[in-house]
Amino acid sequence: MAQNKSDNVVMELRGISKNYSGVPALTDVSLQIKAGEVHALLGENGAGKSTLMNVASGTVAPSKGDLLVHGERYDALTPALANKLGIAIVHQHPAVLNDLTVLENLQVALPNSVFRGRGPESVGAELLERVGLKISLNLRVEDLTIAQKHLLEIAKALATSPKILVLDEPTAALGQDSVEILFNLIANEIAKKTAVIYITHRLAEVRQLADIVTVLRDGLLRITSPIKKITDSELLAQIVGRELKSTFPPKRPEPSGVKPDLVVKNLSGNGFTDISIQAYPGQIIGIAGVIGNGQSQFLKALSGQAESSGSIEINGEIKSTRQLNGKAALMPADRQREGVMMRMSVRENSALSSLKKFKLFGLLSRRKEVDQVHETLSSLSIKAPSLEAPVSALSGGNQQKVVLARALLSDPVMVLADEPTQGVDVGARLELYDILRKASADGIPVVVASSDAKELEGLCDTVYVLSRGQVVKTLHDGENREEAMIEAAVTSTTKVIRMERQDREQKLGNETAAEKFRRFMRGDYAPPVMLAVVMLAVAAIILPRSSTYLGDFNIKSMLLLVSALAFVAIGQTTVMMTGGIDLSTGPLAGFLVVIASFYFTDESPLTAVLMGLVTMALVAALVGLINSSLIRYVKFTAIAATLTTYIAIGGFAFILRPEPGGLVSRAIADALKSTLGPIPYVFIAAAIAAVGMEYLLRKSRWGWSLRAVGSNEESARQIGINVNRSIIGAYVVSSLFVFLGSILLTVQLGIGDATQGVTYTLTGITAVVLGGTSLMGGRGTYIGTLMGSILLIQVLNATVFLDLDQKWQYWLQAGLILIAAIVYSVARTRKTRLNKA
Amino acid sequence: MAERSAATLSKGPRFQVSKGLLTVLVSTVALFILCAIVAPTSVAPGPLGSMIPFAAILAIVGLGQMLVIQQAGIDLSVPGSVSLAAVIVSALPEIEDSRLLPSVIIALVAAVAIGLFNGFLVGFLKLNPIIATLGTNSLLFGFVMLITQGIPRMTTQLLLKIVGGSTIGIPNSVFFAAAVLLGVIFILRKTVAGRRFESIGASAPVAMVSGLRIKTHQAMAYVWAQVLYSIAGIMIAGVISEPNGSMGSAYLLPSVAVVVLGGTSLLGGRGLPTATVIAAVFLSQLDQFVLALGVNFAIRTLVQAAALAIGVAIYTVDWSRVRSLLQKFLSTARRGEHQTSLPTA
Repeated sequence: MAQNKSDNVVMELRGISKNYSGVPALTDVSLQIKAGEVHALLGENGAGKSTLMNVASGTVAPSKGDLLVHGERYDALTPALANKLGIAIVHQHPAVLNDLTVLENLQVALPNSVFRGRGPESVGAELLERVGLKISLNLRVEDLTIAQKHLLEIAKALATSPKILVLDEPTAALGQDSVEILFNLIANEIAKKTAVIYITHRLAEVRQLADIVTVLRDGLLRITSPIKKITDSELLAQIVGRELKSTFPPKRPEPSGVKPDLVVKNLSGNGFTDISIQAYPGQIIGIAGVIGNGQSQFLKALSGQAESSGSIEINGEIKSTRQLNGKAALMPADRQREGVMMRMSVRENSALSSLKKFKLFGLLSRRKEVDQVHETLSSLSIKAPSLEAPVSALSGGNQQKVVLARALLSDPVMVLADEPTQGVDVGARLELYDILRKASADGIPVVVASSDAKELEGLCDTVYVLSRGQVVKTLHDGENREEAMIEAAVTSTTKVIRMERQDREQKLGNETAAEKFRRFMRGDYAPPVMLAVVMLAVAAIILPRSSTYLGDFNIKSMLLLVSALAFVAIGQTTVMMTGGIDLSTGPLAGFLVVIASFYFTDESPLTAVLMGLVTMALVAALVGLINSSLIRYVKFTAIAATLTTYIAIGGFAFILRPEPGGLVSRAIADALKSTLGPIPYVFIAAAIAAVGMEYLLRKSRWGWSLRAVGSNEESARQIGINVNRSIIGAYVVSSLFVFLGSILLTVQLGIGDATQGVTYTLTGITAVVLGGTSLMGGRGTYIGTLMGSILLIQVLNATVFLDLDQKWQYWLQAGLILIAAIVYSVARTRKTRLNKA
Repeated sequence: MAERSAATLSKGPRFQVSKGLLTVLVSTVALFILCAIVAPTSVAPGPLGSMIPFAAILAIVGLGQMLVIQQAGIDLSVPGSVSLAAVIVSALPEIEDSRLLPSVIIALVAAVAIGLFNGFLVGFLKLNPIIATLGTNSLLFGFVMLITQGIPRMTTQLLLKIVGGSTIGIPNSVFFAAAVLLGVIFILRKTVAGRRFESIGASAPVAMVSGLRIKTHQAMAYVWAQVLYSIAGIMIAGVISEPNGSMGSAYLLPSVAVVVLGGTSLLGGRGLPTATVIAAVFLSQLDQFVLALGVNFAIRTLVQAAALAIGVAIYTVDWSRVRSLLQKFLSTARRGEHQTSLPTA
């Protein structure tokens, strides 16, 4: 091949276009990435930078165009293929898994080859060391600060020595010292001839790092230039680019001799510090800045939905958080999720905050409601099929008008609009501006946060520019030009505010005994220890009253019951680790017993017994496949899917055994009940299974993937885990453990009976919950499940020795599960509070 | 400008029929027609008369479960609470009619207390509803044992007459179910609290931004549900002369099934009370139908499972995609058919 000038080019994007349901996000963008160069990608929010990088890293397939990587042509990449080609990406929102430890996050995301040779701990420590992350490898990622999560994400990306490194706004959450470390790392990579693509909003960083800069705007490539040949103002002009297309309503000059109607003093909260603003009657306040610099949190605090310190004064009255909540109307930025109830009607959405106004003799008057909603919506000139149409049928702009109608109908003390025109067409935008201006003229303070500086320039009287949660510039009318805002936002050199909690967590290396204890209590192995204590307590209560309690017979019969339950519960644990639930375990156990009753009789030869076992295993695997296929491919919820199989399996069991029958062979029963001392062999098997599964869960890729999927499905997908395979596998494993349990159940029952077994669903779930496994997925232990099974049986057994009747069996069972659930949940909440502080 | 759009914004129809209601209504009518043709005995007055009270009871339990499910919860304490109510009103009066009313009041008060307990665990302590209600269920069965000592008691004549009797030819249980249904609809649609409750189910994040008290409403779902289970339990004691302590166990799975068949999502959202009640009729009649066909219990169970699977799939499957796939498949198949039919033509 004739390689001359282009031999440095490691990746080339050619004519890339990408449409999302007809709306172009990228149009015909071509880019060359060269080894040993930092290529900066600039542009406003929504300019298409992230989409372009998603194409480059394989998470998005382009609608048109292709890619050349190391000279090979591809129509599209996948995350796995991108990994293989040496493309690593640091996501803007770190793809880390909260329920896994730092080391496990590294292990699940990186190929085994990275850890080969030396121990994973030393490799992991080295990776963290490289990005200056001073934390324990065994810390759960949930306990990390946002900045630490970003550093972990960077450590992951660098670990594979990538050929092409994509960094998507890596410094957004980092403190100054970390930024310096990152820049040094980038310099190292460049020296190693890695190609770096660097997405940012900050011009200062571009100047410091980049060799080449490319500006995107509205999905089009505007300019690519060596950094030395372009000035800041030229870059700014390319980023901003457009003329004022919309016309805005006239502004209101600061009136003289009038007191401001909104005064916010030194407001601090999660994500912003020390913000003071004020507005005069009729004025609209703008909050500018790059998205994610504290604007949304600030508005949330103003609306009374987030805690804050400082004071908020409206029309001369100090308002507390409680007084503001529900009274200050917030139009949230995430309209789809927080703005409108998609499946509810236009009327129901509009009336939500003002229902009390429509009362007539204590009840809602439909006429009042319809009339007032209709009047307000009409005055906003909304376009909707009817008041009863679902909001989802409306365009973005009209949905926003519904949100606005809800705000206006509620007679708010203040209107807070977060990105009010995002996804709204130009015509509707103008109308929204008019409405906001009118509300302001009616004496309601209006605060608008927007990443569209042009909009703030046109709409607002005073604009505050936020960067990293602090006001970096206040622009009054006349000086609040778009350029001024963007300049203030992109040239700001504010540091991330160090929050108190970060310091607290930095101490983890040398924590006190009390802190260690608290961390243990939040950990996975606290529940098994607590259960052990309870078990000893129960035994201590019974021992003085009974001489036979620890006798061989009692131990043996208890452990036999435990074994069957433990196998079923181990299966359930696997499913719960993915955040699912398998209600079909009980009926499946019963059904397998029915099948066994045909093969395990006295007359059956060994081959028949083996045949029976194979049949049972196959049936179990099939049930697991059906459950998981319904969930993954037909989109049933786990409850709906396994409830369906629950009912169906019961039916099949009755087909095979309408009446109980098929006595189980004595020989098989004796064999399975044989013991080592008082301990049945099958219990030893169950214990080995629990320990073995525990080992796999902690130390194998299978276990990490399982927990990763349960922890956060989206992040798991991003780091290249096959989510479907993990979940389907979990349900099949669950069913196969039920199969093992059913063999023991067969022996216990001694006969094929279609009505037996169903109770194992709920007792199995109880055992798992006692063991501390979370139904939310991602965390839990098999050891805990085994202990939970033992405790459950021990407590039921205790009622016999303590001469308690059946009601006590129920009450003790209820007490166990409720107390365990409350204790574990309280242990978790304390942790959330710590994070907030 | 406002004038022009005022003309275009229609106020919309007074009543609307949801997709869930339509589906289940059509299926139910179709089922009855099928019954009349294939197994006329299943729609004869006798079997119908014995089906209706149980359909009514299932409908009421289902409405309770619906209130919980529409808040993205699930209530596994149905068996315990239904049994407890049945046991309270049959065991406490000791066949003395005059003591029926106090025992009914005791049952309802107990229901409210249980509901508050569940609501506190789920709404405020943030326990997983499966775990919390599983525990409560066990607790309730303990109380059932405490009251019955394991022995079923004769119910009062008065209750048998009220619940089991009929007025102007219609079983009284129908009136009870209708009253509960109307009550639920009335509260959900005509009171401020009900409307807020629905909105929180439809979207908790939106409700949060609007400043609603989400925890309280979610907790109240469990209280109302318990009251309805209690009513159902009381009715069981009026239909069966000697209710035992496990009467409620038969209602757990069907209660979830009717809610799902009625089109309420297990992930929460708008609850569809009328559709839930019709689904209860559907499921009960399906049982009668299969029974009349003379097939055994096993087949009945399988039919139920199939009905549930189809009922859920109607809502979860992206049917427009399936249709387009099917069309593609059919058009190729038809072409094939054409070719094979050519020689004979």
